[in-house]
Amino acid sequence: MLTYVIRRLLYSIVVLFAASFIIFVFVSYSNDPVAFLKMQPTASEQTIQNITERKHLDEPVVVQYVYWVKDALFNQFGTTTIGDRPILPDLQRVMGHTLQLVIAAELLAILLAVFIGVYSALRQYTAFDYSATTFSFLGLATPVFWLGLMLQVLFVNIYLWFDVRIFYTANLSGIDPGTGIHFVLDRAQHLGLPVIVLMVASVATYSRFMRASMLEVINSDYVRTARAKGLPERSVTMRHAFRNALIPLVTIIALNFGALLGGAVVTETVFALDGMGLYFVRQLELGDPYPVMAWLMVTATFVIIFNLIADIAYGYLDPRVRYD
Amino acid sequence: MRKRSLFFLTGAIALVASLVIGPAATADSQQAGGTVVIGHDQEPVTLNFYITEGNAYTTSLAVNPVLASASYYNQNAKLTPYLVAGAPRITKAAPLTVQFSYKPNARWSDGRQITGNDFLATYRTIMNPNFDITSREGWQDIARVQVRGKQVTVIWKAGKAYAAWDALVATSPMPAHKVAGQNFNDLWRSSIDVASGPFRFVSWQKGTQLVLQRNDSFTAAPKAKVGRVVFRYIPSTPSLFQALQSGEIQVTEPQPQLQIVDIRRNNRFKVQSGPGYFWEHMDIQFGPKGHPALKQAYVRQAIITGINRAQIKQALYVSPGLVANPKELPVLQSHIFKTFEQYYVPHWRKWSFSQAKVIQMLTARNCTGGPSRPAANNNDIWTCPNVGKLSFRFTTTSGNQLRGLTFEIAQRQLRSVGIELLPRFGPAGTVFGQVLPSGDWDIFMFTWLGGPTSSATSFGLYGCGGDQNYMNYCNRKASNLLQKAQFTPDPKARAALLNRAEAMMATDVMSVPMYVRPGFLINNTNVKGPVLNPTQQGSTWNMQGWTVG
Repeated sequence: MLTYVIRRLLYSIVVLFAASFIIFVFVSYSNDPVAFLKMQPTASEQTIQNITERKHLDEPVVVQYVYWVKDALFNQFGTTTIGDRPILPDLQRVMGHTLQLVIAAELLAILLAVFIGVYSALRQYTAFDYSATTFSFLGLATPVFWLGLMLQVLFVNIYLWFDVRIFYTANLSGIDPGTGIHFVLDRAQHLGLPVIVLMVASVATYSRFMRASMLEVINSDYVRTARAKGLPERSVTMRHAFRNALIPLVTIIALNFGALLGGAVVTETVFALDGMGLYFVRQLELGDPYPVMAWLMVTATFVIIFNLIADIAYGYLDPRVRYD
Repeated sequence: MRKRSLFFLTGAIALVASLVIGPAATADSQQAGGTVVIGHDQEPVTLNFYITEGNAYTTSLAVNPVLASASYYNQNAKLTPYLVAGAPRITKAAPLTVQFSYKPNARWSDGRQITGNDFLATYRTIMNPNFDITSREGWQDIARVQVRGKQVTVIWKAGKAYAAWDALVATSPMPAHKVAGQNFNDLWRSSIDVASGPFRFVSWQKGTQLVLQRNDSFTAAPKAKVGRVVFRYIPSTPSLFQALQSGEIQVTEPQPQLQIVDIRRNNRFKVQSGPGYFWEHMDIQFGPKGHPALKQAYVRQAIITGINRAQIKQALYVSPGLVANPKELPVLQSHIFKTFEQYYVPHWRKWSFSQAKVIQMLTARNCTGGPSRPAANNNDIWTCPNVGKLSFRFTTTSGNQLRGLTFEIAQRQLRSVGIELLPRFGPAGTVFGQVLPSGDWDIFMFTWLGGPTSSATSFGLYGCGGDQNYMNYCNRKASNLLQKAQFTPDPKARAALLNRAEAMMATDVMSVPMYVRPGFLINNTNVKGPVLNPTQQGSTWNMQGWTVG
């Protein structure tokens, strides 16, 4: 197992370097970080020259990449091109916010999806099963930005009609979020709508996987044997069927979780959540390769780690899987 | 019902009740004088608005009330003394010498008097080549600054009388005791520990909000009436409108969006719109990488005559109801002065829309292959002697709906008279960073962002060899007049030079002026006092006078 993990990590380093070089070249060629300065009729030539020299913008892209690698490895991802501001503190801040959003949304989505998936499988072709199937397809087909805006409109109108504030439509916290329980409640009111938006797509996906997996397991020979031995139905379902049906779902969740940590770009933009996705969009608009690259490295690392976790979890849940 | 279920049910009801009641009470708690919440779609990167990173409108909105300007631009774009005792005056014409004094009651929030040394520190900091100062224009031509207590005398180099001297001396003074010995690039990144204006900085929760509080030690002018101002940052414009509707924000300056039309009908809100110092235009390339036909005046004149500029601004702003009154948004007939400025002369009005005239102009120059009369479904494109087919690359930023629509209308109008426009859109970073400076384009549509002093510095944009003259346009006579205007401090004499230059530019048709982009200011009617300001001073220019009910 240890050998397998080390080998996977070594492969990952090569993948990270290759990805970083390709992205650096693309970002550098597609944008000029001092473009907006050059567009100002009164911009100081001296300042443009200072920035160009400081960030080696007049050097070939390959040389600029080498400087970036040096900064990334020994200087905590370095500083921004304009302003020379350290990148890491901003990245740490937005990462914390994205974690709050993603963990809340995924935990709730898993609980709901597992319940829906298991119940749909056990009550196959009932009204509940058909309804769950319909809502899953709707959830998968609904564009995230549209759902976000519709929820905003709905809760704004609830506020206007009943003068009751259930959820806020933007930002991560209120003007005076308070402390203790008030802070937690304020955060819940702000995270409510984005969590719902993220949950919808996740519940739709997970519940379909759970249903399919559960159906396969409950029709298998060993479950039939368990029933034949006279075990109670609850024990058959929960101990023999449910645990085995979870295996494919764990893989999907781990992969999805890793990808979501890079930020839910649309959700974070619609709800003005200062997370990884919004950070990425803002930096890309500025055309500054340094923060974009830092974001890329962090998200790529998460994807690699969660891929590895998915593989290891698979082996843990299914004893038939062994690693060479 | 079992005991456990009852317990969970009670817990759930308590949680929902506290969600609804608890934080609402917190959000409503206001300080003495009340709280105004301003929503904006962009967040500052730093609070230091002197350096490039902080050179953004959103930074000015939040920082101007803290580090106040010596004089501010009011709603009519007129400079009004604020920290200075009376308007600065020219004491000598050659070399240009300007004198002013800070008010005796103008003090920093830590109790120190604002003096000439603060202006001197500002000058030295701006001229320090190690600092990323956005613009040194005008400052670099100062010969010396003389200080006597609160009095300042600024003397420019001989022959370098800076035309926009009044805007330069209106700059917010830097606190000499705070900037001394500091790396200015690192100063005021996340907080400002001193104030010269009616508000002081309290906190900045990055990604969410920035909070200012009334500066109770401010004595240079009447104190602010509201106790606290909170800037909330919401990048998506539709979400900004939802936040406005739900009372999460009370004041905002949105991008032109159709939601403004709905908001106008709602009596809970007041909507103000008006022109600003943003002018949309289509530049024409004169350089070697541009289309050879564009070097011919008759082709450029045909293009401007073939575009119905009035119809475009009507389709973009007036018909959708974004601008309540069409008179608010006239077609721009000058590149140098804006429609609302005192010295505006509509030099470009002579190029009124006439499709029949375009065909007549091109036929007279022996162009062939075009239509005999204007037709919406025309596919025949003119070819002119020695310059080829009149088919031009049209470059602008992608993803901008209004520009996309402008292109579509202009393309149809010109096509119906036999001139072809081919879209070459790209991301802002690419088209502005690489395409525009390269000169490898034919027609380029974009907006210049300026201010009340922009006219004085027109040489950079339209003069021969001007830094931002990406068109490679050069009319020696006009250029000389523009250059002379740069160093003419008298506004009337300067305007006369600029208008003489523009008359020549209008005949040359080096660019097509479109319209002055309107700005919007919306406030909840429980906030009294916000007034739209056309300059970069922004909507917070008179925030000290706002009240909240």
